[in-house]
Amino acid sequence: MILKTSLRMKVYLPVSKIRIFLGTLASVFFFLACLYACTSEKKQNNQVIEEVALDGTDTKDIGPATLSSYGFFVGKLADLQPANDLIPYELNTPLFTDYAHKLRFIKLPEGSTMKYHPSEVLDFPVGTVLIKNFYYPLDFRQPHGERNIIETRLLTHKEAGWEALTYVWNEEQTEAYLQIAGDTRAVAWLDEQGQNRQVNYSVPSVTQCKGCHEKSEKLMPIGPTVRQLNQHGEANQIVGWEENGWLSEAPPKHTWPQVPIWDKAETGVLDARARAWLEINCAHCHRAEGPAKTSGLFLLTSETNPLHVGVGKPPVAAGKGSGGLQYGIVPGKPEESILYYRINSSHPGIMMPELGRKLIHTEGVALIKQWIEEMEK
Amino acid sequence: MRSAILFLGLAGVLASCSPDYLNEREGVQWKSIQKDLQTRLITAQSGDTIRLPEGYYMFSRSLQLDGKDSLVILGAGMDKTVLSFANQEEGAEGLKISNARAITLQDFTIEDAKGDNIKVNDTKGITFRRVKSQWTGGPKTENGAYALYPVICTQVLIEECVAIGASDAGIYVGQSDTVIIRNNKAYWNVAGIESENSSHVEIYGNEAFENTGGILVFDLPALTRYGKGIKVFNNIVRDNNLANFAPAGNIVATVPPGTGLMLLATREIEIFDNQILDNSTVGLAIASYDLVAAVSAESEAEQGTVPDGTAQTVNNNFRLDTLYNSYPNDILIRDNVYANSHWFPTLKSDFGKLFLLKSPFSVPDIVWDGIVDKELGRIDLCIQEKQDVVFLNLDAANDFENLSKDESVFACK
Repeated sequence: MILKTSLRMKVYLPVSKIRIFLGTLASVFFFLACLYACTSEKKQNNQVIEEVALDGTDTKDIGPATLSSYGFFVGKLADLQPANDLIPYELNTPLFTDYAHKLRFIKLPEGSTMKYHPSEVLDFPVGTVLIKNFYYPLDFRQPHGERNIIETRLLTHKEAGWEALTYVWNEEQTEAYLQIAGDTRAVAWLDEQGQNRQVNYSVPSVTQCKGCHEKSEKLMPIGPTVRQLNQHGEANQIVGWEENGWLSEAPPKHTWPQVPIWDKAETGVLDARARAWLEINCAHCHRAEGPAKTSGLFLLTSETNPLHVGVGKPPVAAGKGSGGLQYGIVPGKPEESILYYRINSSHPGIMMPELGRKLIHTEGVALIKQWIEEMEK
Repeated sequence: MRSAILFLGLAGVLASCSPDYLNEREGVQWKSIQKDLQTRLITAQSGDTIRLPEGYYMFSRSLQLDGKDSLVILGAGMDKTVLSFANQEEGAEGLKISNARAITLQDFTIEDAKGDNIKVNDTKGITFRRVKSQWTGGPKTENGAYALYPVICTQVLIEECVAIGASDAGIYVGQSDTVIIRNNKAYWNVAGIESENSSHVEIYGNEAFENTGGILVFDLPALTRYGKGIKVFNNIVRDNNLANFAPAGNIVATVPPGTGLMLLATREIEIFDNQILDNSTVGLAIASYDLVAAVSAESEAEQGTVPDGTAQTVNNNFRLDTLYNSYPNDILIRDNVYANSHWFPTLKSDFGKLFLLKSPFSVPDIVWDGIVDKELGRIDLCIQEKQDVVFLNLDAANDFENLSKDESVFACK
C-alpha cells in the first residue's frame, strides 16, 4: 500500500518533495518496524540472582542480630516456650495477615504495670516489648501440630518512643535474624478444608511497619486495647493480669468495653462483628489521627456518624481505587459500595488494607458483604 | 531508490535497538543488592552518600526511603549502575521517597518498575541529576505511569535526565512548587514532560521527541492545589507523533498523537524561544478541561482495566470542584520557531482529521479550543511570533461553527 501511494504521488509532485515524502514514509516504517522489533517479549532467563553486599551496610546500631540473644524463650527456640516474665495475650478479632497464625507476648519491665485505658491501647511503661510470632501450621486442622515460623516482630517502648524490629526465621527454624529491609517467603499450608494454599508471604521493612503503626505521626501499638483483650467466656486474660498486679487503674470489670469475635455469632450481633473486623483491619489508618485521615472514612468501633463509616460518602482522591463507584457504602448493595470493592481486591492499586496482605480474606469479606446487604436503607 | 530507503529503514531499525534507544538486557549477569540497599535507606544519617557501584542490579520489591534529611544516592553513571525492577513482585514503585528533605538522586539508570519508576512525595528539596528512567520494552500500555514523578514537593530540580517509555508521562511534576526541569531528554512516552497543578515551574533546554505529546502543562480538578506561574522556553519539541498508548480513562489518553505542546486549563504561563518541529496534529494546543472531559466521554473509556500506578484519570464531575477553573488564561506565546515537514495534519487523531478538513495542506501551529470562561467572557491570550503561524480558533463550544484562522485579535499589545 505504501508503494502504491508513493507511485501515485510521483505523478504530480516535484522530485524533491517525493524524496521528503518517501523519507517520511521510511521513517514511519522504520519507526513501526522498530516498535515491533524492540517490543517483542523479552525472555527472562532463569538465572539465580546472587545477593551481594553493599559496602558500608551495618545494622549493629539498630538492634541485636539474633532473636535468641533477647532470651525471651527457654529451651528450643522454635518451641516459643516463653520465659517466666513473658505474658501471653490474645485479641478477640485480630488483623488478617494472609491467614498467618500469631503467638503474642508482652514483656513488662520488672515491677512495672500496664495502665488501663478505656479506648486506646493499654499504657505500657518504657521498657515494654510486645512480641508477635507469625507462623503457619502445616495443616490448619491441627493448629498445634507442626508449624513453619516466618517472622517475629518486636515493638519496643524506648524513652524516645516505640520502635519496630523484625526477625526472620531461617529454614532450619533454629534462629531468627534481624531483617530491617523486609523479605519475601514462599509459604504453603493445608487450610481448614484440607485444601492446598500458598502465598508469597511478605515480611515488612521497618519503613512499612510505620505505614500501619503510625498515630499522630508517632509509632504506636495497634492491637492491645481493653476491648480486644477483654475475652469472651470464663477464662479472661486481663482478669488474671489484674490479680497479678500487672494491670493498674482498671475500673470494675463490668464497665470494661469488649468487641466480639468476628466469626463467632454467639459473641455479638452482625453489626458489632463487622465493625470489629473493620476496626482491626482498617482503623489504624482510618481514624482522625491516622495516615488515612484525609479520606474522611473513620472505622473505629466508637465512630457513630454513618457518613464517616462510609454510608453515602463520596470518595476523596481514591482515584481508580473507587472502581467508578459513587459511595463508600450503599446500604443493601455491597457491589455498589467502594468499601466492599476494595477489601475484595488483591490488586496493589485498589486493595485495602494496602499493606499486610496479598490474599483476600474471603471469610471477612463475606461478613462485610452480609453486613452491607442487611443494612437499613 | 525506494528499496534503498526501505533498506536504510531496516538498517535503522537494527541501529535503533542499540543503547541510544533501548537498552539490551539479554545475557546480562544480574546481581541483587535488595537487602543491603534497603537497609542503607533505613539506617542512613543526615549527610550520608549512598554509593551504588557499577553493575546490573535486580530487585523484587520496591525500595523505600522515608523521613530522611540530606542524602545523596549516587551511582557510577547513567547506564553504568542499572537498577531493574523487571522481577518486581511487591509494591508499585521502583524507588519511593516520602516525607524527606534535600535528597539527591544522581548518575544511575532505573527501569521496568510495575508502577512508577521513581515517586517522590511530600518532600522539600529533591534533585534528579543524570538519572535515566525507562521501560526497556519500548512504548507499551502495561508500562508504569511515570518515569520520574515528584508530587506534592517543593524545590524540585530535574536536570540532564532521560525518560523513556512511560505509559503516562516521562518527566512528571505534580502539585509541586518551585520546580526546574532543564536539559533533559524525553522520548517514547505518552507525554514527554508534564507539569500538573504546579506553581513557579521553569521548563527549559529540554528535548521532547517521539512522544504522543511533547510538553504538557495541565491543571486538573479535585487535587490538593492548582498551578500557575510557568515558563516553557528554549526547548526542542519535535516529532511527537507516537500513537497514544495510555490506559483508557487516563487524562493523557485524550492527548492526540502529533501534539507538540499542550496547555490545559493553566494560567500565568509563558511559552517562548522553543523550536516546535514536525508534530503532525498541532504545534501548540490550548484547551479547556471542558473539551477534554467531552472528548473522553465520547471515547467511552473501557471499564474494568485498571493499570498499576497512580496516573490521573479524567474526572467527569469536575464541576463539583468549585475552586477549580477549567479554562486556560493569562498566556503569552512569543518568538517560537515552527516548522513542519508533514504536509497534512495526521489522520491518526480525531483532531488531525478535523484540522485536515479546516486547514488542509498545513498542520496548524497554534490551536485554541475557543471555549471561554463565561464569567470572564474572554481569554487573555497574547501571541507574538517572529514568523507567520497557522492559527485556529476552533469554537468548539459551538460545534466548530465559527472556526477562525485569524490570530490578529490575539496580537500582544
